Amino acid sequence: MFDNPKRAFLEAFFLALIVFVFGIMLGISFENNRLVEINDYYTLSEISLMDSLALNGMVDLDTFSCPDLIRNNIDFADRIYDEAVTLEKYEESGDLTDSLKLAHRKYDILRTILWINVMKTREKCAGNFSSVVYLYESEPEELEQKATQIVWSRILFDLKQEYGDRIILIPISVDSGVSSLSSITNRLNISGYPAVVINDKNVLYSLVSAEDIKKYLK
Amino acid sequence: MDILIVIYLMYAFLALYFLFLFSIVYIQNKPRMLYYPKAKRIYSLDIVVPCYNEEESIEKTVKSLLSSDYRGLNRIYVVDDCSTDSSYGIIKKLAEKYEKVAALQTLRNMGKAASAKNYGAKFVKSELIGFTDADSFPERDAISKAIGFFDDEKVAGVTSLILAKNRSKTVERLQALEYKVIAFTRKLLGFLDAIYVSPGPLAIYRKKLFDKVGGFDEKNVTEDIEITWNLISHGYRVEMSMMSKVFTVVPEHLKHWYHQRIRWNIGGIQTIRKYRSLFLTKGSLGSFIIPFFVFSWLIGIVGLAIQAYTIGRRIITYYLSTIYSVGAQTAVLTLREINLSPSILYFYGIFLFILGFAFTVFVISFIKEKEYKREGILTLAGYTLFYLTVYPIILLASIYYYARGKFSW
Repeated sequence: MFDNPKRAFLEAFFLALIVFVFGIMLGISFENNRLVEINDYYTLSEISLMDSLALNGMVDLDTFSCPDLIRNNIDFADRIYDEAVTLEKYEESGDLTDSLKLAHRKYDILRTILWINVMKTREKCAGNFSSVVYLYESEPEELEQKATQIVWSRILFDLKQEYGDRIILIPISVDSGVSSLSSITNRLNISGYPAVVINDKNVLYSLVSAEDIKKYLK
Repeated sequence: MDILIVIYLMYAFLALYFLFLFSIVYIQNKPRMLYYPKAKRIYSLDIVVPCYNEEESIEKTVKSLLSSDYRGLNRIYVVDDCSTDSSYGIIKKLAEKYEKVAALQTLRNMGKAASAKNYGAKFVKSELIGFTDADSFPERDAISKAIGFFDDEKVAGVTSLILAKNRSKTVERLQALEYKVIAFTRKLLGFLDAIYVSPGPLAIYRKKLFDKVGGFDEKNVTEDIEITWNLISHGYRVEMSMMSKVFTVVPEHLKHWYHQRIRWNIGGIQTIRKYRSLFLTKGSLGSFIIPFFVFSWLIGIVGLAIQAYTIGRRIITYYLSTIYSVGAQTAVLTLREINLSPSILYFYGIFLFILGFAFTVFVISFIKEKEYKREGILTLAGYTLFYLTVYPIILLASIYYYARGKFSW
């Protein structure tokens, strides 16, 4: 028989607690490193956005160039699309902290500003480009919706691969509580998610093939 | 934080806790792991061997008992529970040949080991009473190395190191490994005064205490768990002698293995139900053994439910997205969907798996056997990756059978 069984239980408890807390702290720091990476991306994206906004503000000046503005919007959209993919993967694997969710919200605001910027650009410049805004919920409860969103991502990715610079693809999560986004979706009478808004006019709710989407593109 | 993550972390903590508990107990009792006290005197001992359709092994079992070096062994009562094979004939021949052997037969088939054991116990007049299953073979010194524990008046029973006899098939090798892990942890639990079972292959009890608690509970399908709890609830202890080696025949087919595990679990449920009033009361039974049983089962079932839920959701999502992808004429899987940034929880899981694996490897190296080759890496992998994970499923099935009243020995 053990001399003092209670002591063994307590010792095991404290040892487990120490290792457990150490592990959790390690995990949090691991996830925070990913956040630092995302924040660096975000800063670069912010710079691109500011640049784009500055170009938009130059409309009345002689030096204003529509191709530059469109080019800038496309580059910015491509950048945040790539970052969105990274963020989503990090977010999927971020279990201990909610910091990446906050980063996601910031990105959603950035993407909404981009969308507004693209709308303005379209009013000013009649360029040969299309905008495809993909509105989705980041944590859908329904499995059908989740599966639909997965497939929409694939279709839009294929489309982007094929069209390249001719389309501006903006994925935005609608459950971030961005009020300017709500205002736009209300104006467009969007009734459910996921939804794909093409050139701010056509709204698709049901899954269609990339070929079908092409009909709406310039 | 998601509730599933909280549960996952809770599991990780519990796994760490028990790993540390066992490690601490082992480190502090290392010199006593293989220790057995030398008996101050010779205790008289009779052994009861319940038998039902064991024509292939009964003779070998009796002969292994006869070869025991324990001088206090007086009689071996072999109780045939109206076997339908030639078991009783073999037993009678053994009784004719060996003076120590007595052939007994129940009036009708009682269908339970507990009944046959109790029947045989009525004939026992010795200070100690031992029980050996008819398909188990104690080593020559197994009994003599267990008796010394009875010098302590508080010791009511002594259990032994049970190892698998047959190891040619995969399922047998997995059980052989499992038996070692069970034996090792049972010995460690002994240092915490928390041995919860004295299995049938070889268990010895103080006869007056065996009688005091009313012998085996014939309603229980795992009478060896029940009697251990019964003795502990009366304030006595059960010890384990790691040097008392017994080899037993383990199920060679998955079907029999499954049936045996269902029986073990149902017996466990019956025993918990019987002693539920002692839950979280003073003493090792109420404060450790019962909570240990209840929570480990609860954890197993909740874990299974969570796994089924998450895996089920993934499968359905994958199925739906595949169908939708086909409908939308797009790829069913793209490279960019493969997440190469794993969650920290995966690392925790791998860490715990490695610790668990190391524990199993350590147990294998601790329990040395001259007769058999050490378990290979495939057996180890099969044990840790597959064997242990099916346990909650069996537990769930046991609860189902128990609730429906469908169980027998």
